[in-house]
This record gives sequence, C-alpha cells and structure tokens, in this order.
Amino acid sequence: MPELSVILAGFGDALAPINLLFILFGVALGQFVGAVPGIGPVMATAIAIPFTFGMDPLTGIAFLVGVNKGGLVGGAIPAVLLNTPGTPDAAATALDGYPLAKQGKPLKATKMALFASITGDTFSDIVLITVSAPMAILALRMGPAEVLGLMLLAFAVIAGLMGQSLVKGLVAIALGLMAAMVGTDPEHGSPRLIFGNYELYDGLPLASVAIGMLAISELLKRLSETRGTVRAAIILPRHQPRADRSVSWIEYWGCRFTMLRGAVIGTILGALPGIGSTAAAFMSYASARQASKEPESFGKGSLHGIAASESANSSVMGANMIPMLTLGIPGSVSAALIISAFMIHGIQPGPFLFSQQGQLVYGLFGAMIIANLINLWVGQLGLRFWVRVVSAPEPFIFASALLMCFVGVALASGGLFGIGVMLVFALLAYVMSAFGISVVVFIIAFFLGPRLEVSLSQTLALLNGQPQKLFDYPFALALMALAAVTAVALARRRDTESETR
Amino acid sequence: MSAKTSDRLLGLFLILLGVAFFAAIIPWQAQAADYGWLKPRTLPRILAVMLGLCGLALLIRPPGDVRPGRFHWARAMLFAGVLVLGLAAMSWLGFALIAPPMALVLMWLAHERRPLWLVLGAAGMPAVIWFTVAVLLDRPLP
Repeated sequence: MPELSVILAGFGDALAPINLLFILFGVALGQFVGAVPGIGPVMATAIAIPFTFGMDPLTGIAFLVGVNKGGLVGGAIPAVLLNTPGTPDAAATALDGYPLAKQGKPLKATKMALFASITGDTFSDIVLITVSAPMAILALRMGPAEVLGLMLLAFAVIAGLMGQSLVKGLVAIALGLMAAMVGTDPEHGSPRLIFGNYELYDGLPLASVAIGMLAISELLKRLSETRGTVRAAIILPRHQPRADRSVSWIEYWGCRFTMLRGAVIGTILGALPGIGSTAAAFMSYASARQASKEPESFGKGSLHGIAASESANSSVMGANMIPMLTLGIPGSVSAALIISAFMIHGIQPGPFLFSQQGQLVYGLFGAMIIANLINLWVGQLGLRFWVRVVSAPEPFIFASALLMCFVGVALASGGLFGIGVMLVFALLAYVMSAFGISVVVFIIAFFLGPRLEVSLSQTLALLNGQPQKLFDYPFALALMALAAVTAVALARRRDTESETR
Repeated sequence: MSAKTSDRLLGLFLILLGVAFFAAIIPWQAQAADYGWLKPRTLPRILAVMLGLCGLALLIRPPGDVRPGRFHWARAMLFAGVLVLGLAAMSWLGFALIAPPMALVLMWLAHERRPLWLVLGAAGMPAVIWFTVAVLLDRPLP
C-alpha cells in the first residue's frame, strides 16, 4: 500500500485542469460514439488511443477511461429509445427500457439507465480502489473447473429469461451454442463449420451477430409495420408531467437493492477475465426478476429491469481493471486496449505497479471517480438531445440507423463479410421471433459458448477420466450445485406461473 | 395458421435440422479426432441431438404460446432485399456511392414523401457518416 502522501498526490493530479478537460472530452466523445449502433465503447477506445500518444500518461489514460465510461452510458441510448442495442450488453436494458420509452417516457427510461449505470460504475470503482489486491488473488484462483461452474450457473440463471416455453428456450440455447461452434475447435485447433470461409476461422464476428439479431431484425420489423401515415420514432407527449420525464429520489432509492445486486454481480464477473458485461447484465436482470415481488412487471417498462441491467454492465468496467492493474491481465477487450495505452506510455501494469507508479495509479483512480461525475452531468444534457433526435420521423431514423449499423459492423468486423453475416443473422432473428424463440437467450448462449467449451475441455483434461477428482475443487462443486438449485427453483416457478395463467 | 400448427411445423423443421447436422453437416464440416476429451464433433453433435429432441417435444406437445405481435413477412423481406442488394452494390461501388440511394429507397418504401426528410436521410446522414468516419476518425468506409 503506498503512503498517504502518494495517494493524495495522485488524487490531486486527477484534479489538474488539463486532466479534467480531457476526461470531459473523453466522456462526451464516448457517449456520442457509444450511442451509434455497432461502434460502442471498445471501438471508441481503440479509435481514441492514437490521440493519446502526445499526452502525459495520466491525461492520456484518463481520456481513455472517460471514453470507455461514456461509451457504456451511450450504449444504452439506442437500446432504450429504438430497441436497437448497439452492443450485446445493452440488450438487457432494452427489455424494459424500450417498453417504458414506448409508453411516452423516453427521458425517464434513459435517466434510469444513466443513474443505474453511474451507480454500478461507482460501486465497482470503489471496490477497485479499496480491495483490488485480494479480489485479484481470488480471481486468479478461479481455474477451469470453477469457470465451468460459473458458466453453468450463468446458463441456469439465464433460463429465467426463456419466456413461456421451456422447450423453445432450450432451442434458443442449442442454436446459440451451435453458432458459437463455428470457427476453430479450441482443443484440436481444427476448423469447424466454416464452410470454406476462412474469415470464419476466429468464429462468427460477435458484432455482426449481435447487431444483426438485436438491431437490424428490430429495424426490419419496425420498417415492415410502417403504413401510409409517417410517425415519429418516439412520440413525446406535450406538457408531460415531471414524474414522466424524470426519476424521483423515491424511485431511485426503491431500486437500491436491485442496483446493489447488479453491481455485485458485475464486479465479480468483471474481475474474472473473459466473462464480460453481457453475461453480467443478463444474470443481474434474471436475478432481479427472480427476486422481485412483481416479476410480471419485467419486460413491460420496469425501472428495476433497467436498473438491474445497467448497474451490472457498467460495474464490469471498473472490475476489469482489478486483474489488469494488479496482475497485468486484461479482463476484457477494453482493458486490453487500456493496457496497450499504459505500455505505449512506458508503464508496465502488474504486481509492481502500485509500488513503482503509486501516484499514477491513484491519479487514475481519481480520474475514474471524476469521470463518473462528469458522465452524470454530460449524460443529463446528452439524453435530452438524443430523445429529440429520435422524435424525428420513423423512416429517417430507421434508414439512418441501418446505415450506421452497416458502417459500425464493417469497422468492427473488418469489412463487407461482417455485414453479410449481420444480415443473415437479422433474418434468422426475425424468423425466431415469429416462432416465439428468444433471440436474447440465443445471443447469450452464443456469447458464452466459446468460454463454456474451453472450460469444459480443460476441466475434462484436469479430471482425466476420474469424476471423483471434482471433489478436489470444492468451490467449483459449490457453483455447480448452486446452478442445479437455481435451475430447479426456476423450473418450479415456471410451473407455478403456468398454473396461475 | 394457428400457433400450435406453426409450433408443430417448427418441431418438424428442428428434427430435420438436428438429423442433418448430426448425420451430414458435422461429419462434413468438423474433423474427426481420436484423442482428447472434447473432440471437435462432440459438442456440436450433443447440440444436434438437443435440437432434434426439442423438435420432437414441439411436434408432440406444441406449446402454442403467445407471439410478440404481428409479422408482416412480405414487407420485411422487401426491406431485407433492399439491404442485401445494397450490400452487393456496396462491394462493387462502395458505401459512399450506394448509401444515398439505399437510404432513399428505404425511406420511400416506408412511405416518407416529404422532400426535406428525404434529402436529410439520403444526403445529410450519409454525409455526416462519411465526415465522421472517413475524415474525423480516419477509418475506411466499407
């Protein structure tokens, strides 16, 4: 632990006017770019890195942190206002955000997303600042068996999102996992299900699949519903009461446990490399619905639904920094990009970072907290702008969104092949929705599939044909047992709900 | 077509899909291996069986659950066709030349007839995207 003087000097550095200015600029850029479907915080950070070459290390890294945090808030905007999440982690926000926006309360929905996002982010930042070292050690002890247990738990919790038919939920999981099988087999390194397309060696591009299924299919559905009279994409009622435009303190405070649960889930998953914010958002959403006294209100514009998703996906960002700063292991693509920025500036993240660069690290922590406050302020202004933008006519908004998705996916996946994949999966999602198969469950299974296969393969290798060896991994066993209990509890709840119906 | 009938058809399709994957696609598209705990074909084949069993369940006991709203297939396919044609044309002429007519056709098919909005969508928005991506961010457009 560095001396108090170093800590205070670090926080003081974060308050330097130049750093504040670049945090503000980063947050504003991140929110704007994050709101464009297909670009998102990762792409925004990647684009911003070259601009930091000429800056001081703290200024450059604070700028990137601002871009990343702004991007997380921005990602929720198209999800809530148009039901077209630009990134998979915002898909859970759309489940309740869009219904609330459709009820004529787009500002309330986006503000709840903003407040929950900032709350979750601040929670994980505080965890990062206070207990990052023990958390990193704990994360490092998670071997393949424990990760497999966690994956099974994630699938069991997500079963709560399957909808009315269990069989169709299983179909969505099987199809999503089958799509995840495309690419190189992790154990043998041989190509699989690529049909001669060498662009698929690394698997189907996540951006293409996610944006195709979540955004393009929704845009196709909405465009197909247009009739002779042109409407606004979001209708803003005139003389709207204040209660419908804002989130009151009582409403915010009423969601405190939901946000806390989401932030804890996001922080734990964020500290584990490779699991990411999508799984956190959906696990938090599913567990909030499970814990709610009014589960039927979820999916119809519940503030708790928005709070659960946003607090979890935003808290992943700070938690990703835990293994990154303490062990030098990036927990996500964003963290890997920030690590590369550290290295460009001659700083080596890892166990010695706190002792050798303590002032810089605490400067970064200060910048993260300041970025949250600026995110809140810029977000309040920006949301009004975006709500105004989407009150333009539907044909204009939808055509513009489609063009942006084309460009965003081409940038993210490296060209027109990615756009082709996006269109194929958009049509698949349209057909799946028509048959009542959950697109969201498909996406989560697709997202978790490679990690599940790798951890399963490694666990089987560890057990070496002796299942009793699993008892050497008590934490993994506990997670697997918890997954089984969760699955049974959800199945019972489903039966009770069907009997009530 | 009732929801139960469509579920039965879905079930039948999934059985065929599962069989096709298990018997033809996976042996063709995944290499056989005689070592290791999780072979390249193992998990895909488990999933193919899962699809087939789910299909069977849907065929025998179709849930007939509520669908999320109405689906206008013909119009959706019309818009999808425009996107596919746009993509094909883009691979030949590039985004900058194809985006304006594509946006115009999409808006026209969505019943927008007001010149101002048509110009904004077909010229303004592609120009903003071009300026932001190609000029400000210095990234290539598709």
